[in-house]
Amino acid sequence: MADQNIRPGVARLFRLALGRRESAESDANCEIAFHFEERERQLVARGLSAADARLEARRRFGDIETVRNSFITSSTRVQKRTALRERWMEVWQDIRFAFRSLRRSPSFVAVAIACLTLGIGANVAIFAVVDGVLIKPLPYRSPEQLVRVWSNGMVPPGIFEIVKRESQSFSQLEGAEGGRQASLTDNRTPARVVVSHVTAGLFDLLGTRPLLGRAFDANENEASTARTALISYALWQSRFGGDSSVVGRSVRLDGVATTIVGVMPGEFAFPAASVQVWVPAKFVRTSPSYWWSTYFALVGRLKPGVSAEQARAEAATVFPNARTGFPMRMPDGWGRGADVAPLDESMVKSAKPTIVLLYAAVALVLLVACVNVAGLYLGRALKREREIAVRTALGAGRARIARLLFTESALVAAAGATAGLVFAWFLLRALVTLLPADTPRVSEITLGGRALILTVLLSVGTALLFGLLPVLRAGRASGMAVLRSDVRAGSSKLAGKASYLLAVAQVSLAVTLVTCAGLLIKNLWQLQQVSLGFNTTNVVATTIPLPSFPNDTASRAPQFYDAVLQQARQMPGVLSVAIASSLPFGDGIQSAAMEVEAHPTPPGGAPSMPQLSAVSVDFFRTLSIPLVAGRLLTDADREGSTRVGVIDEAAARSLWPNGNAVGQRIRFVWNKDWITVVGVVGNVKRDSLSSAFAPSLYVPARQGFPRDMRLIVKSAAPLQANAVAIRAAVANVDGTVPIGEVRLLSSIVNGSAARERFVALLLASFGAVALLLGAVGIYGVVSASVARRTREIGVRMALGASKARVLRNVLQQSLAMSAVGVVLGIAGALAGLTLLRNILVGVSVLDTWVVAGVVLLLTAVSLSAALAPALRASRVDPLSAIRAND
Amino acid sequence: MPPTLPLVKGTLDVLVLKTLSWGPMHGFEIISWLEQRSSGSLEVEDSALYQALHRMEERGLVSAEWGKTDNNRKARYYSATAAGMSYLKAEARQWTRYAETVTDILAARSKAGAT
Repeated sequence: MADQNIRPGVARLFRLALGRRESAESDANCEIAFHFEERERQLVARGLSAADARLEARRRFGDIETVRNSFITSSTRVQKRTALRERWMEVWQDIRFAFRSLRRSPSFVAVAIACLTLGIGANVAIFAVVDGVLIKPLPYRSPEQLVRVWSNGMVPPGIFEIVKRESQSFSQLEGAEGGRQASLTDNRTPARVVVSHVTAGLFDLLGTRPLLGRAFDANENEASTARTALISYALWQSRFGGDSSVVGRSVRLDGVATTIVGVMPGEFAFPAASVQVWVPAKFVRTSPSYWWSTYFALVGRLKPGVSAEQARAEAATVFPNARTGFPMRMPDGWGRGADVAPLDESMVKSAKPTIVLLYAAVALVLLVACVNVAGLYLGRALKREREIAVRTALGAGRARIARLLFTESALVAAAGATAGLVFAWFLLRALVTLLPADTPRVSEITLGGRALILTVLLSVGTALLFGLLPVLRAGRASGMAVLRSDVRAGSSKLAGKASYLLAVAQVSLAVTLVTCAGLLIKNLWQLQQVSLGFNTTNVVATTIPLPSFPNDTASRAPQFYDAVLQQARQMPGVLSVAIASSLPFGDGIQSAAMEVEAHPTPPGGAPSMPQLSAVSVDFFRTLSIPLVAGRLLTDADREGSTRVGVIDEAAARSLWPNGNAVGQRIRFVWNKDWITVVGVVGNVKRDSLSSAFAPSLYVPARQGFPRDMRLIVKSAAPLQANAVAIRAAVANVDGTVPIGEVRLLSSIVNGSAARERFVALLLASFGAVALLLGAVGIYGVVSASVARRTREIGVRMALGASKARVLRNVLQQSLAMSAVGVVLGIAGALAGLTLLRNILVGVSVLDTWVVAGVVLLLTAVSLSAALAPALRASRVDPLSAIRAND
Repeated sequence: MPPTLPLVKGTLDVLVLKTLSWGPMHGFEIISWLEQRSSGSLEVEDSALYQALHRMEERGLVSAEWGKTDNNRKARYYSATAAGMSYLKAEARQWTRYAETVTDILAARSKAGAT
């Protein structure tokens, strides 16, 4: 055997054939044979004959086969181990070498790592959001079977029980109210909490057990059972200090004694994260409230083998059929809109386009970063062509050089990924606080395993990608040619073209992002200019819940709110005071199915559903809503007098398209009393700046008080003083009433554009990052080209070109490059518009001003990026430039 | 504490390592050295010794390489590695303690028998 004389390590070193099993076997035989020879010689020396010595040696040795086997096993294992260690040593050597060579170009390393940090960090953070909100399965038992049933519908207990009985698609069907404000009182300060009335089996359906105590029993929707409640983890911590004796404690919810039976785990957020208390809705089947006042959003678990489509088809007949169950006449079309959709889809529906847009944007940022790093590596590979050629000439194999270069890029990528992960962590913390409050599943956003896997994939991907570039180049460069030739002249043309293309790609990607951000900002600005239809100046508002009286709470409401109004009018600086059941841009907005006397809803047609508010007389004056026709409400419009209402122009137009609205009559579909329209007021924006005006109906609060009115105060006093004064005023009437937060109406209105602002902010910062990276790219290309053309520039200047002309030349080159990028980028933005249109009304066309702004911005950026190299070019000394390579 | 390993097997490892602590040796040299030191009282088959060597090589306690004997014959030379030396130290200490304990107990019993 050839390698028997060579130690295994040496064999590896020189890439000789490794000992296989056969060679191990012969080695074993060799060792055993040697032993026998020595032993026999020893025995012969002691006086035995050769034959006896052989027999004795045999006897003393024992089993030869086991020794042979143990030799082979151990030597193959040892060889494998040695090979592994040597490979690792090589990798370690590569790493040390790469580290040394990177240390020689710190600026390259810094820029490359910075690019990767930005790109990877932003990606991982946004991915964590995407993952938490869109991808991760809902934290319920078998979430894929869960469906939302009629997500826009309002299903009262009566209908719920009919549908539950009639539906065949669900193994279980339950409901939960979105959550309403209630007053929680025990022996401490009263508090406002969000309560969701649910059906008893909800927790069982979702498969979530309470952290403490018990869930509701199946019969707890019956009115005869005791009042019980489950509280959220957050409420348990904040109100009860995490005291486990809270289970079994009695509190009052809107005055009703209720026993807390359990605490839900912290991550439980159904139907919304804002819910703090769950109570079983009490079904009083004889009461009218069985058919209204509580409206469930239904959630069902599909039977095995039943698809959401089948359930939807069934719902399309079950719901309209259930309509006849109502004791009052419901419009014919009721229930037609019933649909069934997977729960996860339905929960994130509104947030999805925003998040997809952000992810697309951040993917673009990563792309720009990658392109930038690719450009950097390309430049580096060019500079190193000679070094690599020298190494090749000295005998380094191509694979060896490829591995060295790859190790370098892997090191940079690893550093970038690590820094990116840290960056992502900070970014994510900022993002979670910045996310609009209504973003679903915010609590599920974490930097989890999948984000880590993504980071690793991204960094390995970039390492491979950029490791590849110089390797390809190293492969192409035939050593001697490079060594002999003038490197700069050698392969400059091709490389120049490649880096030019890379820079154009960066610019166009940056332009796409900046244009989209620009469109969003423009849209945001336009939203600020939208006429609200009311005046928010110096107006504050808060919720004043109706306290619970020992008996007959409803009939004492007028008295209570009159007293509050009376007190509030005494506050310092007050200009006007009103109460209303709903606030523009606030909660409490209800819509009501109406019947119009002049033209009844045709059978099967949808009824008019104006937005309904009960308001006090001064409501219109407080909000400066103008009267258009007829009269406003007066103090005479009270209980006992003719029922009247005021509508807005949108309602007037939609209900009586060709006639005078004043004097016409309408009524609620569940009430036979007609309401006479006495006046028409201006339109008011209700829930978002971008939505159209919704038809509205205002009725006097004195003719029917809902619970929980909003107090609206126009006052010259500052917000803080107002808040204190309002609390004092309400306390004067009833000390047990917890009032909500006192807020400026203007900030409530602004809050409605939170998502738009958030998206615009993020896109703008992504755009800025991309632009910065693009500028780095331009700088790189231009300065490389200046360096390459030093001699040419020198010749030109020697031939009489002025400094200004050289300067202009270089700047022109940069501008031409960005011009191509701008055109491509705007084309990209056109594609991005499709996504934008999903989240924003009004952004539909490429705005001229935005495009002009982007072009100006890019001109400025590309000029400033090229300025330094251009100045360098203009300072070229013709003589030394021409001599440089001689 | 007595080791749970079969006594001879574990002991052989220690003896081999002790032998190798004098320097690299091939298999037969180790055997001769052990036979010499024990004046032939060590009843062990040669194969057991080779197995012990191979087992310890696999565990990294000894390393092996091919070399030439004084009269220029190819032989496999074993030497104790650093891991092997520290294993030897630990085992030797344990063995001594074990032996001392046993000796103490035996001595006490014979004294009791005398009175």
